[in-house]
Amino acid sequence: MAQFDALFQPLNINKLTIRNRIVSTAHAEVYATDDGMTTERYIKYYEEKAKGGIGLAICGGSSVVSIDSPQGWWKSVNLTTDNIIPHFQNLADAMHKHGAKIMIQITHMGRRSRWDGGNWSTLLSPSGIREPVHRATCKTIEIEEIERIINDFAKAAARAKAGGLDGVELSAVHQHLIDQFWSPRVNKRDDQWGGSFENRMRFGLEVLKAVRAEVGDDFVVGMRICGDEFHPDGLSHEDMKQIATYYNDTGLVDFFSVVGSGCDTHNSLANVIPNMSYPPEPFLHLAAGIKEVVNVPVMHAQNIKDPNQAQRILESGYVDFVGMTRAHIADPHLITKIKLNQIDQIRQCVGANYCIDRQYQGLDVLCLQNAATSREVSMPHQISPTTGVIRQIIIVGAGPAGMEAARVCAERGHKVTLIEKGAEIGGQITIAAKAPQRDQIAGITRWFNLELARLGVDIKLNTEANESMLREMAADVIILAVGGEPFLQQNPKWGADEGLVVSSWDVLSGKVKPEANVLVYDTICEFSGLSVADFLAQSGSLVEIVTDDIKPGTGIGGTTFPTYYRSLYDKEVVMTSDFLLEQVYREGEQLIAVLENEYTGVKEERVVDQVVVENGVRPAETLYWQLKQDSRNHGQIDIDALYQGLPQPILSETGSGYLLYRLGDCSAPRNIHAAIYDALRLCKDF
Amino acid sequence: MSSNELINQVIPLLLVIAFLLALLGGLKRVMIWRQGQASAIYWSGLLSMPKRYLVDLHHVVARDKYMANTHVATGGGFVVSIFLILIIYLFELQFNITIGLLSLSLLIMTIGALFVWVRRFTPPPNLSKGKWQRLPKSLLIFSLSFSMLTLILVGMINIDSRYLMLVLLLFAIVWGLAEMVFGMTWGGPMKHAFAGALHLAFHRRPTRFNGGNSTGLIPIKVDTNNLGVAKPSDFKWNQLLSFDACVECGRCEKVCPAFAAGQPLNPKKLVQDMVVGMVGGSDAKYSGSRYPSSDNEVRSGSINSIIVDGLIPADTIWACTTCRACVEECPMMIEHVDAIVDMRRFETLQNGNTPGKGAEILENLIFTDNPNGHAPQSRMHWAADQNLMLFGNQPNQTMQADVLLWIGDAAFDMRNQRTLVALIQLLRAAKVDFAVLGDAECDCGDVARRLGDEVTFQRLAVANINTMTKYQFKTIVTADPHVFHCFSNEYGAFGLSTPVVHHSTFLAQLVKQKRLRLGTHTKLDITYHDPCYLGRYNGEYDAPRYLLAEMGLHIKEMERSQSRSRCCGGGGGAPITDIAGEQRIADMRMQDAQDVAAKIVAVACPQCNLMLEGVVEPRPEVKDIAELMQMVLIEESV
Repeated sequence: MAQFDALFQPLNINKLTIRNRIVSTAHAEVYATDDGMTTERYIKYYEEKAKGGIGLAICGGSSVVSIDSPQGWWKSVNLTTDNIIPHFQNLADAMHKHGAKIMIQITHMGRRSRWDGGNWSTLLSPSGIREPVHRATCKTIEIEEIERIINDFAKAAARAKAGGLDGVELSAVHQHLIDQFWSPRVNKRDDQWGGSFENRMRFGLEVLKAVRAEVGDDFVVGMRICGDEFHPDGLSHEDMKQIATYYNDTGLVDFFSVVGSGCDTHNSLANVIPNMSYPPEPFLHLAAGIKEVVNVPVMHAQNIKDPNQAQRILESGYVDFVGMTRAHIADPHLITKIKLNQIDQIRQCVGANYCIDRQYQGLDVLCLQNAATSREVSMPHQISPTTGVIRQIIIVGAGPAGMEAARVCAERGHKVTLIEKGAEIGGQITIAAKAPQRDQIAGITRWFNLELARLGVDIKLNTEANESMLREMAADVIILAVGGEPFLQQNPKWGADEGLVVSSWDVLSGKVKPEANVLVYDTICEFSGLSVADFLAQSGSLVEIVTDDIKPGTGIGGTTFPTYYRSLYDKEVVMTSDFLLEQVYREGEQLIAVLENEYTGVKEERVVDQVVVENGVRPAETLYWQLKQDSRNHGQIDIDALYQGLPQPILSETGSGYLLYRLGDCSAPRNIHAAIYDALRLCKDF
Repeated sequence: MSSNELINQVIPLLLVIAFLLALLGGLKRVMIWRQGQASAIYWSGLLSMPKRYLVDLHHVVARDKYMANTHVATGGGFVVSIFLILIIYLFELQFNITIGLLSLSLLIMTIGALFVWVRRFTPPPNLSKGKWQRLPKSLLIFSLSFSMLTLILVGMINIDSRYLMLVLLLFAIVWGLAEMVFGMTWGGPMKHAFAGALHLAFHRRPTRFNGGNSTGLIPIKVDTNNLGVAKPSDFKWNQLLSFDACVECGRCEKVCPAFAAGQPLNPKKLVQDMVVGMVGGSDAKYSGSRYPSSDNEVRSGSINSIIVDGLIPADTIWACTTCRACVEECPMMIEHVDAIVDMRRFETLQNGNTPGKGAEILENLIFTDNPNGHAPQSRMHWAADQNLMLFGNQPNQTMQADVLLWIGDAAFDMRNQRTLVALIQLLRAAKVDFAVLGDAECDCGDVARRLGDEVTFQRLAVANINTMTKYQFKTIVTADPHVFHCFSNEYGAFGLSTPVVHHSTFLAQLVKQKRLRLGTHTKLDITYHDPCYLGRYNGEYDAPRYLLAEMGLHIKEMERSQSRSRCCGGGGGAPITDIAGEQRIADMRMQDAQDVAAKIVAVACPQCNLMLEGVVEPRPEVKDIAELMQMVLIEESV
C-alpha cells in the first residue's frame, strides 16, 4: 500500500461520493455578514480548500435555523430566510467546480449564546438553567416553541438543499439545543420532552424526522455529537454510545461527526480544539467508540494535522473520515501537496489556536502563520514568480517577519539574502518554544527552514548587520525585521541597569539560571508571562506571577489560557493580579520587590531571589535611522497601497539606491500574525 | 608456371574449389539453422531481397555516412568484381570491356578497403576486433591480387620465371578467395554477406520492409509444454539465421541504455553468444565489448544446452528495457528484443525465475489484474470527483460513445492521475463524447508480456477485448503508449480491430480541427522526450511536437531524440527486475535533458513520467503534454 493510500479511498455518505477521506469540519468562520449571508470572502476561503483537494467541507459552524438563536455575535450563517439560497448556490458552485463537496452545520443554540444584542432574543433551554461560559440566562422552552423550532430546522435544511449544498449536519454537540435536551444536567423536565431516555431523545428525533421529511431520502443529513462531555454530571462515553445507537437505528442519520469533550466550562472548552499542549488525536478513542455502535460513516477532528497521522488513523479503521480542519486553515493546499509528494512543503498547523481564539472573541478566523487564509480575495496562497525585474533583496533579521519576507521574495524569483545575528532562524519563536507545552510553536520556523532551503535563500547566520555592510551590499531593497529587546528600562526603579531584574528572554533562553524563589512581573498578560512562570516552576522555582492587569494571561484566548492554568495551578504558582511593580532593591543576598495595589495604593513587599519582568519589546531602531535618510522611500510604506493589497507605487519607478522597509516588532511590537501579514502584503508584489 | 597456365588453369581451378567449398559450407550452415524450429516462410522474400538490401537496409547503414560510403565501395566493388572474375577467368569472356570494368570495380573496392583499413587503425570501442581486424587486409589482398592478375592478363606484367612473385600472388589469391568466398559460409567475417542476404529474404517480420513497421511481439501457443526459448534449437530457424547476419558493428551496443548504464547487457555480445550456442563452442574468441558488471568468464554452449545461466548470465536478459534502440539501429535488421523475450518466456513460464519484483508483479496481475496489486474495485478511486461516463447497462451508464478512454495503470498512481485529469479536462473542453470502462478495465498486459508471462498477457488481452466488445465506440484513446502499442500491434492477434490512438495524436487532431483552443506558454526552456513505445514502436514523433509548437514552445531537442531517443529505463519490466548496474538509465536520460539546459522535460508516457521524476533533484520538471496543454487551455465560458 502506498504511503497515503488510505486517504484517497473515496467513500459514500448516503449516495454522495466523497473523493477522499479528508474533511474540514464545521467551525465558525465569523464572516457571514449582512445578517448572516455568505460573502465572497467566505466562498473564497472554502474554494481554496476545494482547489487544494479536500474531499468535503462542512461550513458554517453554529449556523442558525431560528431567529431566536442569535448569529450576529459570531457572524455565523443565517438559514432563517430564503435570502440565503442564492448565496449557497454560489458557494456550492465554487466547491463543486473543483470536485469537493460542501455541507453546512445547522443548529439552534438554545441557551448557549448571548441575549444582549441583535434581536435581544430571549434565550431558550429545556429547563431555563443558566449557561456559564456565555453568562447566558434563559427561559424554559414551551411546547409551542419546540414545535416551531423543529419546523425551523426542516425549513433550514430545505434552504441548504435548494442552494445546492450536499447536506446538512445537525449540531448536537457543545450543549446546543438538541443536546441540551439530551443532558439530565440541563434538562429537568417531567413532560414528554424530559426525564426518561426516550423523552430526552425526543426533540432530536423530531428534528431529524422533520428534516428528513423535508429533504427526502437521498440528501445527506448528519449529526455532530460529543464522545464524552467530561462533566461529572454530564453525558459519559457510554451515554453517548447509547444516544448514537438510538439515532443510528432510526436510519435517518447518514453520518456522525464526533467531538471529544463538552465545552460549557472554560476548562472543557480547551479540550474541544486541543492546542499545542495536547498529544496528537487525544480523543480519537471516543470517536472509535461511537464507530463501534453505528453503521454509517464516522468523522472525527481534534488535533489531526499530519498526513501520516491521518493515514494511520484511517488505515487502522478508527474512523471513516479524518477532520483536518485547523490543518486546512494553516494550509488549504494540504491534499494537493500530499498528492504532489510535497509533504515537506505543507505548512503544518502548530496548534497555536489563533484561529479559534479569535473566533471566541467574535473576530474573523485567521491563521497565526498563514496570512493568506481567510484573505483569499486579496492575498495569494501561491506566490507566482515576477515577470518584472529581478531584485537584489536583503532582509535583516530572521524572525517571523524576516522569514516570511524572505520566502515571499524568493518565491517571486528575487535574489534574497537573509541576515541573522543568531545561530538559527526563528527570532522570538525560538524563545517562545522553550516554555513547557509550547515547543510545537517552533513548527512555524521548521516550515520556513524547509521552504527557505527549497527556495535557495542565502541565509547568513551568526552575522550582525551594520550600516556599512548593508550599504556595500548594494541591494535594491533592504528590509529590516530586526525585532527589538526586552523593555526593562521603562521604570528606572526596577533597577534593570543595576541588574536587579532580568527579562523573560533571559530566563527562557537559558542565559539566566532560575533561582529558588522568583517573582514574575507581567504587564503584557499574553503568552510570554505565563510561559516564563511555567518554565520557572517546571525548573523547580517557587513562583509568584504578578500583573497589574485583571488576571494573569488575560490576553490569551479561551482555548489556551486553561492549559496554562492547569499547569500553573498544578505547580502551585501563585497568581496575583491588580498589583504594579513599583520598585526593586537589594537587601543582603535577596531582592525586595515592592508591589502597589492598582486600586487602593496599598503597598506590599516580596522577598525573593530573582525578579523577572515581562514588559514586552522595545523596537531596535538604530539601523533604521542610519539607513532611512539615503533610502529612495525614506523608509516609508505607502499604506494606501498596502492596505488595499496593491503593489507599492515606488516599485514601478526607476531610481538609484535602495528601498527601505521595516517589518514586525522593529517597527512596533505586535504578534506573529501581524509580522507575517505585513511581510506578505508588502512583498507579494516585489 | 607461365602467365598463361596461371590464368587458364590455376585460377579457374581455384575459383571452382573456392565456390565448391563455399557451397559445402553453405549447406553446412543451412543444416545448423535447420536445427531451429519451423517458421512461416515467405518465399516472395527472395525476390524482395535485393530491394530490402538496397533500400531498407541502406536506410539504416546510411546513418553512418563514412561507413555507408565505405561499404558501398567495398561491398559493391566486391560483388561486381567477383561476378566479373567469374566471367573472365572461369568463362573466359576476356574482353576489353569486362576487363576494364573489373579493373574499375577492383579499384573502387581497393579504395573502400583502404577506408576500412584506416578505420581499423584505432577502432572505436563498439567495433569487435579479432577476425574483423583482419578483414580490411583480406579485402586489400583480394582486390590488389586480382588487380595484379588482371594486369598479368592484359600483359602489363610478366610473371614468367618470377617465382617468388608468383608464389606470393598465388598465396594472396588463395587468401582472398578463402576470406571472400568460402569464408562467407565457413564462419569468417564475410559470413554476414551470405547469412545477411538470406536473413533479409526470410526475415521473420516481412512487414518491416518498404517503410513498414512491425514491433508487436509474436504470440506463442500457451497450451504446450515447451514455452519460450530454453536452448538455441528452440529459436525459429530464421532467428538462428538472423544471428549469423551480425557484423559486430556494435551500433546496438552504442545505443543500448542498459549497456550504457553498466548493466550486464550488450546486444552485440548477446547475438554473438547465440551464434556460439547454435554452432557450439565458447565465447573465448569473441573480441568485442563484453557484458558490463559481469564476471565475464569464458562461457560455452551448444545447440541443445540451456542458454540462460549457461551460455549467458541470467541478468543479461532481464536488463533489457525492450526499448528497441538496438533493433532500430541494427544494419542487419536483427530482432534482439524478440530473442530476449523468447528467453524470458522460458525463464518465467517454465522456471518461474523472474528476478527482482518480477514474480510479485506477475502474481499481482494474476490475482488483481493490475501490476501493483491494488484492489480491483479501487481502480476508479482517483476519478471520484470527475463524474466520468461509464460504459455499462446501469442507469447513468452508456452503451455507446465516440471514444473509449482507456485509463491504464495510471489510475493507481498519483503522479499520473494528474495527467489523466488534464486529459479529461481537454476532452471535455473539446466536447468529445467519451466514456470509460471503470473497474472492468484490466491491465493491458504489457508488463506481463515483456516479462515473459505470455499466459497472463493473453488472458488479459482476451478479457479486455471481451469487455470492449460489449460496447460501441469508434476509437480508443489512451495516454499510455504501452497500452497504445499493445492494442494497436498486439491485440490484433486476439481479435481487436478498433482503431487506437495515443492521446497526443488525438489531441493534435482536436487542435487541428479547432475543437481545442490553446493559449501560449511564456518562454520555457523545454525539451521533449520521445517514449520508446510511442516513437520507435509506433512512429509517432510529430503529434507531441506539433502540440508543443502550437503552445508557442520551442523545443530544445536532445542529442538522442525521435527514432534515436534514449529510453527512460522504464520499459520491459526493467524497473521491476531491477538489474544492478553502475548508474541508472533515468539519470542518464535526465542528464541528456540537462545537457540542453532544459527546465522542463515534456513527456507523453506515464512510465517515462515516473522514471524521470524518480531522478533526484535538482533536475528539470517533468510534465505530460496534456498537463502542459491544460495550463494554457482556453475554455469557452458557459
